[in-house]
Amino acid sequence: MSAGGLASGKPDGEWLRVHPATPFVRGWVALAAIGYFFGRDSFERMLQGQPLIDDRFAGRAPWLLGAGALMLVLAVLSFILSWYFTRYQVAEGYVRVNTGFLFKQQRQARLDRVQAIDIVQPLLARIFGLAELKFEVADAGESAVRLAYLRIGDARQLRATILARASGVRLDPAQPEAAAPEAPEQQVLQVPPSRLFGSLLLSEQTVFIVLGAAASVVLSALTENRAFFLYLIPAALGFVAAYWSAFNKGYNFTAAISPDGIRLRYGLLDTQAQTLPPGRIQALKVAQPPLWRLFGWYRMQVNAAGYGAGANNGEGGSRTTLLPVGKMDDVLNMMALVLPDPGTADPLGVFQQGVNGLDSDGGFVTTPRRAWLLAPLGWRRNAFAATDTALLMRSGRWWRQLVVVPHQRTQSIALQQGPLARRFGLADLVLHTTAGPVAPRVIQADIREAQALFDAQAARARAARRRQTSEQWLAQVAPASTPLVERPGSETEPAETRPTTQAPQQEGQQRG
Amino acid sequence: MPTAAIDPPGITWLRVSPKYVTVRLVEWALGNLVMVTVLSLPLVFVRLGWWRWPPLWLAIGLPAFMLLLALWRLVLIPRQVRAIGYAEREDDLLIRGGIFFQRVMVVPYGRMQYVDISAGPVERGLGLCTLKLHTASAGTNAGIPGLPTEEGARLREQLSARGEARLAGL
Repeated sequence: MSAGGLASGKPDGEWLRVHPATPFVRGWVALAAIGYFFGRDSFERMLQGQPLIDDRFAGRAPWLLGAGALMLVLAVLSFILSWYFTRYQVAEGYVRVNTGFLFKQQRQARLDRVQAIDIVQPLLARIFGLAELKFEVADAGESAVRLAYLRIGDARQLRATILARASGVRLDPAQPEAAAPEAPEQQVLQVPPSRLFGSLLLSEQTVFIVLGAAASVVLSALTENRAFFLYLIPAALGFVAAYWSAFNKGYNFTAAISPDGIRLRYGLLDTQAQTLPPGRIQALKVAQPPLWRLFGWYRMQVNAAGYGAGANNGEGGSRTTLLPVGKMDDVLNMMALVLPDPGTADPLGVFQQGVNGLDSDGGFVTTPRRAWLLAPLGWRRNAFAATDTALLMRSGRWWRQLVVVPHQRTQSIALQQGPLARRFGLADLVLHTTAGPVAPRVIQADIREAQALFDAQAARARAARRRQTSEQWLAQVAPASTPLVERPGSETEPAETRPTTQAPQQEGQQRG
Repeated sequence: MPTAAIDPPGITWLRVSPKYVTVRLVEWALGNLVMVTVLSLPLVFVRLGWWRWPPLWLAIGLPAFMLLLALWRLVLIPRQVRAIGYAEREDDLLIRGGIFFQRVMVVPYGRMQYVDISAGPVERGLGLCTLKLHTASAGTNAGIPGLPTEEGARLREQLSARGEARLAGL
């Protein structure tokens, strides 16, 4: 009956149930609402020291209470049923989740297509020591397979098992039931709360708020109309909520590396632990708003398949954040994790030039001088550089930005030119990646350079795809990972690099 | 010919059927007739004396301007259709289009998730179809309109076969 089948060594492939407390942790809001709606009257009376039921309505109130109780019972019953009919199984390279009592749903995902795996703990679940396991396969966001709730230990164990299967680690054949050991991990960086707080204060949002407040003060002074302040109240509430959510999400952000991939942990009340397996990051962005330059802070965001189009709203926004705020060293460390093989002799120089540089230092090719009119500030900054493993695109003089796309992650490429660009002999190169906050684009490159890049990039992507043969990342030859910046301690190497046979037929992605 | 500006050198483009011009003309006619008619209504009302507000010059000027724009687009249609091209290379498919805003796109066969073919009523009447490629990226807006039906079917089979042979994950 327990959720910990894998942990307690039950045979592989058995159908298991989630923790019995699940529906209550999930649906406590509904229970509370029902209780409040029907019990409010009596409760208020109780507080006022009056009899529980008003004499005048003695005929009706019991009915009301009875209806409330009935709904409560029905809700609890449906909770129990939904728990009873939720089962999951990990077997034969698939994880399957069956849910639903009237409307049944079966969802299965191929383990070697798992793009990312998260352990989410909302506040209430955290109090009870429960956690939700959520994993993404490559699809536009709808296909997340969720398992809620498991005991936190079981969730960790299951994550380790899924990641071990997905990476192609073969467990000891003598003991196929033995649980996979959790991959060792090593912390790479941590964001102190003070820096997070500072970064929020100096974010773009703050600039807009200050400007907006100044504008409304000026307007109200000019028109002698106090009503402007009234409009500010909902706006202020919204901003407070936004700051709080950013703080809550980014609090205590830590990144660690393990053979399973990059582990990100964060959250003040609701905590979340994300695991991004190696090579699942489709594109990466390092950005610096103007005010952050005072302290040398940067933000990193990624496109990962499955995080999907919801990347701009709350939950997705935090999930696509690789580093909410960090110094140059942190950025370079994360870069080394994402791109273990930078494909250049001088990775430090190239990346630093990409983030901060101007002109053609570090092998960057900028917008030609003749086109300075089109980008009077940005032309020295708009540039691209290709290493053996990735394409680097930088842009923005004030809002600095560097986008990195690994060659083997390039989906399709488009070369675009409008009439104005044609005048100046320029073209834009757009790389298409999965949905997310990063939109890779080489801006206003010289037409010849752009054409050459277009051809070269198609060829490089082709070659990189040939090298990458398997979805099971341990089966690939792990590139020699050279840390860009010295990290405390030694790097953890993948425990096993045993070649495994790849499934002969490569199916398309699995939809639930 | 300015349409050659950003093409990679040494590509022989396959062009879409000239009959696709008809499809575009029908689309143009439907879209613009409705718009110009609606925009002309104020003119009619003003002439009839029901409305006072739009001054006569505006009531005439706006639809006339839109009509001019529409006519300009009409003139461009044959050239736009001629500018659409595609080329099958060893490992990827190239698609180009546009005159003023040109675009050349390369879609690796290994990246294609699926291919679909559609045909509207006018296209079907002319024996044409539209082929669309889908990759894991929503940004890949790769469609080839105005293909003869047999060519569309051939291309789909060809692309599927090549895609399977070269399928990479993500």
